[in-house]
Amino acid sequence: MDATRMAELPGELQYIQYEHKLEAQYLPAIRALISKDLSEPYSIYVYRYFLYQWGHLCYMALDPIDASLIGVIICKLEPHASHSPPTLRGYIAMLAVSSSYRGHGVATSLVKKAIHAMTQRNADEVVLETEETNIPAMRLYERLGFLRSKKLHRYYLNGNSAYRLVLLLKSIDPDSAADLSLDDVDHIPS
Amino acid sequence: MAMAQDELSPVLQEFDGLSLGNYNPYRDEMAPLMISSEGIVATDITKKFFAAAATLEPGTLIKDGYFTLFESVGALEIMDPKMDSGCLAPGESLDEDYDVTRPLLPSEVLGIIDQLLCLEMAWHLGYPLSQTILTNVYIEAMLMPCPTTIQDADFIRDRPEGTPRDPMFAVLRAYCLGLLKTCWYVNERIKFEHYYEEEDFVTNTYHRSLLDNIDRNEIRDEIMEARKTIHNLGHRISEDMAQALGFRLELRTAFLRAIELSELRSNPESLSLPWSQMKAIWEPINKSRHLGTPVPEAFSTKIQRRLASTMPPRPIVQLSFEETYGHFKRLFNDGIDVLKVLDYTDSQSLLNFVQTFQAQKPQPLVYIRALLQFFLFKDMIILGHLSIRHVMDDDLSIVVLPLSKLLDPNNDRCEVPHDARFAMSHQMELFRQRAAQSYLDISRAFCQNRCRVRRTLCHSIQDWETVQMDAEEIDQLLQIQLDEKPMMYQTSLSVESGAAGGEPAYSLPLSSWAYLYKLRLMEWIVQLGFELDTYAPDELAGMYWYLSYLAKMRASHVERIQKFTVARVNEIRLTPHTALPDEMEAKYQRSMSYLRLTLLDAAVTWEMADALSCLYTVLGRLGAIVAPPRPYSSDALRYDIRMKPFAPIGLPELPSYDVFEHASTQAETSTANLLEFASRAVGVVKKGYEALSKLSEKEAFTANCHSRWVAGTKNCFKSVIATSIAISTVKTAVDKATIRGRDVSVALKVDIPRPDKLYHEWWIVPKVTEMLTS
Repeated sequence: MDATRMAELPGELQYIQYEHKLEAQYLPAIRALISKDLSEPYSIYVYRYFLYQWGHLCYMALDPIDASLIGVIICKLEPHASHSPPTLRGYIAMLAVSSSYRGHGVATSLVKKAIHAMTQRNADEVVLETEETNIPAMRLYERLGFLRSKKLHRYYLNGNSAYRLVLLLKSIDPDSAADLSLDDVDHIPS
Repeated sequence: MAMAQDELSPVLQEFDGLSLGNYNPYRDEMAPLMISSEGIVATDITKKFFAAAATLEPGTLIKDGYFTLFESVGALEIMDPKMDSGCLAPGESLDEDYDVTRPLLPSEVLGIIDQLLCLEMAWHLGYPLSQTILTNVYIEAMLMPCPTTIQDADFIRDRPEGTPRDPMFAVLRAYCLGLLKTCWYVNERIKFEHYYEEEDFVTNTYHRSLLDNIDRNEIRDEIMEARKTIHNLGHRISEDMAQALGFRLELRTAFLRAIELSELRSNPESLSLPWSQMKAIWEPINKSRHLGTPVPEAFSTKIQRRLASTMPPRPIVQLSFEETYGHFKRLFNDGIDVLKVLDYTDSQSLLNFVQTFQAQKPQPLVYIRALLQFFLFKDMIILGHLSIRHVMDDDLSIVVLPLSKLLDPNNDRCEVPHDARFAMSHQMELFRQRAAQSYLDISRAFCQNRCRVRRTLCHSIQDWETVQMDAEEIDQLLQIQLDEKPMMYQTSLSVESGAAGGEPAYSLPLSSWAYLYKLRLMEWIVQLGFELDTYAPDELAGMYWYLSYLAKMRASHVERIQKFTVARVNEIRLTPHTALPDEMEAKYQRSMSYLRLTLLDAAVTWEMADALSCLYTVLGRLGAIVAPPRPYSSDALRYDIRMKPFAPIGLPELPSYDVFEHASTQAETSTANLLEFASRAVGVVKKGYEALSKLSEKEAFTANCHSRWVAGTKNCFKSVIATSIAISTVKTAVDKATIRGRDVSVALKVDIPRPDKLYHEWWIVPKVTEMLTS
């Protein structure tokens, strides 16, 4: 795979925030890029579910020359109900970088932009799941400060397990420690 | 993020068969719906709807607050072949055109059976029936339409009466009957016990009946008949082939028999016979598979379109026969081993059985885990013959109350409300009712997959926190009934602080029992964290420190229990001025033996954890383990997440971040001293594990699981040796650097093995090598 990778990026990539008016231009490319790594595709409704509600938490990395899509991150940010008082929880749903552009920190830049945007919107924490075999992804997130909070047995359709990664942005209020066990059921069904 | 697996939606399934080809949503005149019913006023909103929709841009999402991500994930795109189950490629046929009546060669029957074995195992491993057994055309023909009699259960229906079945059809049919009935029993067993759907197993049968209407004896007879048929073929097939087919049919009979016998929940020796039989014939089955000819066309993903599922066809899960062979072999061995739980000796052996059995790598299959739960808990009768009270009282007697009046069954007979015995009986019953569920849940939790064990225990500790508090109230009531006198008790803490004499204290046996379990659960949570590879390398020093902290708490708590037990039993001895009767003495010694074992176990745990904590602290100082930059996080915030499960626990209280940080960095202790301390701790642990591994089954409370327990202890011992090697490597490097001068840095390479590469999953021992420096 490395043989097909670029030695250098074609100049400074452009990072832009997604907006609804960009749907026709970029949604097909976003879907194509993300579907590549999935055994089962998401329907268009999944993308719209995120992009329509949290387009401001979606960032795209574009080729500076032809503005084609190189990488994308898709997130959401919502009150998380199982805690009282609820936390404002950011969730990184999808992250993908075109294979020939990997190894240049594109994914890290996208995650940083997303964290930054969520912090600006007062997020308490950011969470995600990643396949246990996806070492590069775990390394990326752990370098930024995420911690593996629990392992999820056979979480993916291919039978692989996952880790829940958590980045706490604000201290947990000790008075709200009513249900702080690891088992908060999450938003993404599996 | 994962896709939702197939959630059964009958409504969508209905649409599957409808032709939508002529549907045009934009035609101007819709046929008006003729709804007439009292109380319903129909309004045609078609025009309004289209007018409103026309104002929206493509991609606009209109949803109410209740539309969840789950629903968006469940949505399908019609005519996308990966989502639309009815979408066919040009020229593709809806069904497989395979003729189940075509004659089959014996080698083909063997080939199909062996493929079915692989698919059966894939199902056991957690893949759905739709991608495994139900991809077989013979099975599908046998199950559709649903057979209600044994005669109907055939892939060739309406056979003219009086014509005999083709022998090869008879063999394949009998095999399929046995297979399906087994699957039904397995599925029912798992469904009845605690498991996680789709995570551990998929119980969905897609509206196919797995021969639930057909009696297993009838099926057994059919298999017997088929075996006779093979026999009667004589020289028309080779002897090898006849044997190969015969063994496969025998496997089916034995499996059904094993299931039937397991329902008895007694007499493990006889229950294990069919399992041993399967184990024995599994080898010749494996050796004869070369005789088979694969018939790939008899398996098709297209059958999934006929199943009650909205998912488009997904690939057949293809395990190799080598993998299948290994998994079945494990299944049969585990099937034999799990039966040994039925020989009850004592409550602690039972818990050790469950723990050592489930800690095996790989973990026993979900069916075996369900079988274990069934043996343990069915109808709230433990192991088929014990009351919950029996097991709990046994446990209380081992842990805190040997020879106690509180456990005297005669108390129940007392009907005088003012009598202390009456009150004891009543209060103890209240306590049992309060604690039974939590107590049984520990074993139930350990029957889950390892990830779930840890998550479940994180809940349980909060539960045990309240059990402990409630138990303390009951303790206080009981100490009045028992007329207990407080004892001057010195904790190791009060000794350290110089408070002489200690403080008057009561034994509080029930809450002591609960507290001991809570402490063990907390240790297990941390240990499972190591096993599941949850901690980052630079967290290891701190997590081992915390484990040591918990183990020390446990040790000092057990010492307290010990002191009170000894004092109480001495009173019993002194009152009649005679030695205790043998039976009582044995009970007392059993409890003492348990407390010594627990103290030893706690001691090796804290010493080993201390050694590793110091080692990791040193490796951090020397720069051999480097923490990532983590620009968005702080040490204190990560401590918050890591310790989240323990934060709500009042006793033992979670150490503050400052305490934790101080303890895991030990800044005031020199590197040389840390290494010295680690070496000394390792020396102690070595002796401890040596002593442990010499214990008898009785002393170790490992009835029926002693060899597994010893193996685990020996693996711990190997971890100790590896730790001692790592420590001396670091020491040598540090010493050399010290001799050569202050500025010389120590160059060490540290490799932290993944848990499956460790001697013991709970002891993450680094491989340290010195790097050559110029």
